Amino acid sequence: MDVIQVEHIRKRFGNKDALADVSFSIPKGEIFGFLGPSGSGKTTLIKILTAQLNPTSGQASVFNEPAEMMNHSAQKMRFGILTDNSGLYERLSIEENLELYRQLYDLPKSSIDKVLQFVNLSGERKKKVKLLSKGMRQRVMLACAIIHEPELLFLDEPTSALDPVNSLHIYKGLRYLNEKGTTIFLTTHDMAEAELICNRVAILYQGQIQTIGSPKELKKQHRENVVSVDLINGEAYELPIGEGTADQIADWMKRGLIDRLETKEPSLGDIFIKMTGSELL
Amino acid sequence: MSISLKRAHAIFVKDYKEFSRNYALSIMLIFPIILALLLRAADAASSLPGSFATVLNLSFVFLTCFVQACLIAEEKERNTLRSLMMTPATTMDVLIGKSTLVFVMSVVVLAIATYLFGYEPASIWAFVAATILSIILYTAVGTICGLFSKTLLDASLSIIPVTIVFSGAPWGAFLVEDYPIFKVLDYMPSSQLVHLLGLPPTDFTTGELLNPLLIILAWTVVLTIVSVVLYQRRLKDE
Repeated sequence: MDVIQVEHIRKRFGNKDALADVSFSIPKGEIFGFLGPSGSGKTTLIKILTAQLNPTSGQASVFNEPAEMMNHSAQKMRFGILTDNSGLYERLSIEENLELYRQLYDLPKSSIDKVLQFVNLSGERKKKVKLLSKGMRQRVMLACAIIHEPELLFLDEPTSALDPVNSLHIYKGLRYLNEKGTTIFLTTHDMAEAELICNRVAILYQGQIQTIGSPKELKKQHRENVVSVDLINGEAYELPIGEGTADQIADWMKRGLIDRLETKEPSLGDIFIKMTGSELL
Repeated sequence: MSISLKRAHAIFVKDYKEFSRNYALSIMLIFPIILALLLRAADAASSLPGSFATVLNLSFVFLTCFVQACLIAEEKERNTLRSLMMTPATTMDVLIGKSTLVFVMSVVVLAIATYLFGYEPASIWAFVAATILSIILYTAVGTICGLFSKTLLDASLSIIPVTIVFSGAPWGAFLVEDYPIFKVLDYMPSSQLVHLLGLPPTDFTTGELLNPLLIILAWTVVLTIVSVVLYQRRLKDE
């Protein structure tokens, strides 16, 4: 079953297309990465899917309902969202912020303990938000977004403000959520992040999807058919994959001359540059 | 549109906690009390006409309207209003929750100010009704100001035109002989409150009591509807 379906969505601001004919679907239980540079239309799509914005044309549905229905309370119970537009109440403690969300979602008191453990902030619960570091704030915002254990989670650049340690903590949490059945729609311009946690990714550039598939498939599609070989005498070769190369490598191996042998596999960043001719910013 | 009192209550409690720790804003609670004490002293000395109506009209702007505008603007500035709108809380849950704090505070502080001033209304019921309607009206004006403000500073500045238009209207009516256009100021809710509060303790007609109340009610209904519609529109990106 598809949780999100997007068909020929177009969004125009003034005379510029933020999104131009975007179509894709996301099945239940997937971690889907929407990749692209800043200003490529990623946040616009999240806003359309969460009924904060109407598309100029095309159709989007979430949980088999038109996306415009996502502003109804019953639908809002089913998804969580963390964007760079999310905010926290500075004068309140972490616990008081979460208490508000607990009451809005009508959850038992234990949900606060559970989510605080999840984001590893149980010991800091009484701390005022204004005293928290950027990384801790991001974790509190994530806690607010997932306190009700949503079926679908929208994350807009969730680790953009975080150091690698905090990012890894968030990834671990997202994988755990996903294992429990949450479908995750993630936007990022960090290709390494996408490669690490996404089941499938779409590369968005100038409002259009350039390619879509699993990171493994995309790398396979864009793999260069060459083998890179470093010999122990310091010589280095890049050989085309084929029978002749296989014989040559077998010979070097028999003679114990190979120091390093690898196929040249592109990263998602390399694929992005190859497809768009543009660096990620 | 559905309303959940449980959610509205949660927002009210959150706003109360935030407000009680925001000393820059909560200090406004003493404004009506100080104004009442000052004007009581002046009134005793010179019998200023409509001085208690002035206490109320200024308090509605500097307490009710200003605090509401700041609460909304601060939520916008810190993106918490957007986060709130992504939860199951509806527009009405948020507006009722946020307005209840300002309403309760205004009622309590103005009751104290009335007691301290020693004002005795011609009709207690008409006075209570006019005060409650005015609090709702100025809360709506505060919501509108907050929605048009991007920062707390904007919200503070947005109060200036409200002060001139609403609190200044009864004074503008004094110039009606020189500028007949100022006659329209007589239909402002603040001017109507002056009329209502200026009625003698006895010897007034039902019409004299009802007319100001109905005009204030009309303002309240219109501005409340405008604030709800604007709230929904301004929080939707286009």
